[in-house]
Amino acid sequence: MIAANTKFTSPADLESFVKTLHSSEDKTSRSVRVCIGTGCAAKGSRRLYELFVEAVKQSGQDIRIEAKHVGCHGFCERGPIVVIQPGDIFYQSVEEPDVPEIFRETVLGGRVIKRLLYEDPSTGKKAKRADQIPFYNVQQRIVLANNGIIDPTEISDYIAKGGYAGLAKVLASMTADEVIDEITRSGLRGRGGGGFPTGLKWRAAKDAEESPKYVVANGDEGDPGAFMDRSLMEGSPSSVIEGLTIAAYAIGSSQGYIYVRNEYPFAVKHLSMAIDAARDVGLLGQDILSSGFSFDVRINRGAGAFVCGEETGLMASLEGFTGEPRPKYILPVEKGLWGKPSVINNVETLANVPAIIVKGANWFASLGTEKSKGTKIFSLVGKVKNTGLVEVPMGISLRRIVDEIGGGVPDGKQFKAVQTGGPSGGCIPAEHLDARVDFDELTKLGSMMGSGGMIVMDEDTCMVRVAKYFTNFLQKESCGKCTPCREGLAQMLYILDRITDGEGQVGDVERLGVLAELLEDTPLCALGRTAANPVLSTMRYFRDEYDAHILQRRCPAKECRGLFRYEIDAEACKACGICLKECPVDAITGEKKVPHVIDQDKCTLCGTCWDKCPFTAVKKV
Amino acid sequence: MPTVTIDGCKVEVDRDATVLDAAKKAGVWIPTLCYHSSVSITGACRICMVELDRGDWRQLITACNYPVRQDIVVYVSSERARKARCGIMELLLARSPESEELKALAEQMGVKGTPYPTVTESQRNCILCGLCVQVCEEIIGQAAISFAGRGVDKTVASPFRQASEDCIGCGACAAVCPVGTIKVRVHKDEREVEISPFKSRAKLLVCKNCGAPTVSIEVAEQALSRLDIDIEEFRQLMQFCPKCRRSQAAACLKSAVFDKKKNECAAG
Repeated sequence: MIAANTKFTSPADLESFVKTLHSSEDKTSRSVRVCIGTGCAAKGSRRLYELFVEAVKQSGQDIRIEAKHVGCHGFCERGPIVVIQPGDIFYQSVEEPDVPEIFRETVLGGRVIKRLLYEDPSTGKKAKRADQIPFYNVQQRIVLANNGIIDPTEISDYIAKGGYAGLAKVLASMTADEVIDEITRSGLRGRGGGGFPTGLKWRAAKDAEESPKYVVANGDEGDPGAFMDRSLMEGSPSSVIEGLTIAAYAIGSSQGYIYVRNEYPFAVKHLSMAIDAARDVGLLGQDILSSGFSFDVRINRGAGAFVCGEETGLMASLEGFTGEPRPKYILPVEKGLWGKPSVINNVETLANVPAIIVKGANWFASLGTEKSKGTKIFSLVGKVKNTGLVEVPMGISLRRIVDEIGGGVPDGKQFKAVQTGGPSGGCIPAEHLDARVDFDELTKLGSMMGSGGMIVMDEDTCMVRVAKYFTNFLQKESCGKCTPCREGLAQMLYILDRITDGEGQVGDVERLGVLAELLEDTPLCALGRTAANPVLSTMRYFRDEYDAHILQRRCPAKECRGLFRYEIDAEACKACGICLKECPVDAITGEKKVPHVIDQDKCTLCGTCWDKCPFTAVKKV
Repeated sequence: MPTVTIDGCKVEVDRDATVLDAAKKAGVWIPTLCYHSSVSITGACRICMVELDRGDWRQLITACNYPVRQDIVVYVSSERARKARCGIMELLLARSPESEELKALAEQMGVKGTPYPTVTESQRNCILCGLCVQVCEEIIGQAAISFAGRGVDKTVASPFRQASEDCIGCGACAAVCPVGTIKVRVHKDEREVEISPFKSRAKLLVCKNCGAPTVSIEVAEQALSRLDIDIEEFRQLMQFCPKCRRSQAAACLKSAVFDKKKNECAAG
């Protein structure tokens, strides 16, 4: 904890504080770290934390025990997660009744409760520590290094783990040009989707003549199924603020903004607390660490429009206008926020900056591939055994992410495709699963890195429906400013609806192609220009599914209602009569010991029989 | 001054002039809808797409707002540019199938009808170019109408879709509407002007002489407050319709000349 009225007045001051923190750290002390990321919090982890705090209070033990709440560990599938020190004992799926036992056995007694350990589904081996779990040991955590370790509401925790050392180094010994050179040499590229080289962006903003200049952190994460930025802002808010401050120093700005969507209340809260704390100790505000550099940050909350994640839309929203993109022929680094030079970086990009400054550009450039450096956080969701947040080095194959980290597709199903890059990304089929995760390689495959959503799909997923789902999302989120995005997406959706309803016409795929080409070329902003990707990539790799829908009126994945039938497998049917009783339209006939039959003329395809059959005798054909 | 080569024709323009400016100078026609020289450029309709030659690759840009900063080569009549413009026009025709103005522009561009059904119609025959919203805010200063809703549900509307109290009935929105969707309707009996489809109404001044409606009272008031003119003279002028004003002036002139001659005769 930082004493009241502490104010760091020089880089050396900060350093000596870190030293005192380390020396006071009792190596034998025990701690209970409870994840309060939104995923675990939804499963009641805040209550667990309170119970642990209570238990510590009542224990009356002589030893120092600390219960603290920490940011997302990433393994949201198995939450709530509780980690006990010493020993880094990793408990998953912890529930309220477990608390007294954990406290008695593990915290006080040092004994491991096997029941709460992670068990490898394939080998049955129990993992005591996180690094023994494949989900974690394939990962490489730079941005998320502090997630799950530090208390995000305590700035001293962040400082103790080397936080603000990057800013201190910059202010003590680097010029703005040196900072930009370092970032440029590191090869850091924007993590929000575009992949623009960060150093180049900063250089252009620094060279712009007008002033004042602004820096903006983009935390308006809106992709369905993505929560990288949320977890980062919740779990390590200070790293975003430090990165933003370094960016401000580099381009010569004294005012920064963090744009966070209001649907992330913990992110907003933790960022606000981190900003206030930084201000209190002199790491934000006037004359930071007596360097003469002044900088402050404001949080702006977004009202939930997906398009506000696009930088010009974000600026419009920040200025108080409707969140609609603006033409970008003159870039924001020249005319951005309020017409002034502005740098907008994704929060993950910014969180990389302190590490690059401290460890050097060469270190960062040694990670990843030739043109994509460092690591990338993905939110791995969909049909995989282990869903959650993963940070992997660039260049890792999709197969390793899906199979090793994700544990493969559950229930013995076949992997079909992985959707990367959010709604504007594309679906990558099994034959390209060995592709490396890299900005350019994913683009070549018709998808994109995007901000890091990764949705795994199995054989039961209809790819036409996937295209329809994302097109529908984008059409709903289109701001409606420019013609091709507003009208073109609606036309595309009209055709996709028709196909999945079994009313597709010969030539519909070509019609979609014409619209997709128009959408790639003509819209005002990147949302529109990439909006055809879901349709294009599914048409590219799963054309046969489109044809089956249109020509044979059949949905190969058996997901589109009306494009498959329910039939009862006479051999599997035990003639129990459940389906017969449950069928709302009396379409099923049969007697005791006689296999039941569905009258296809009466059947409305509601799926009740399929749901209720205890012997899985009802099949989709 | 940078040179713009448009379909092989070279013109020089000022730095930061647009490709559209250059095209006008070169005498090359590019269709526009959401562009109007009086208001700021949004680049929303995308009908003015042209192809920019970047050397190793080519990119489609909107002519209305692409700033010329160096010598550039653009193609208006290239296949890709033409296809893009026609594609946009087809989408707009599907949205606003009844607009005669839009059909005329389509014909001029060589677009014969649209292959698309009408699937979006948040506002009848409106292409959401936004000129009306801009002119009301930027030129008139009233901001009586604005965009409401998002995406395909977007419309131009007054607040809560009620007749707006801020509308002064000037009709500037109707004047700039490129597809003839906004209309000015005069209700003679009620001495009111209505801006359709926004339902807003304003009281009209009527000619003291013939009773013909002239402009809305608020427009006259606004003009008074904004212009540097002799207020009394202006008030006098505004009492009559243009036609009556002309005939009055003619009468004055006539009497002046006639009386002068008469006086001369009398003196002579």
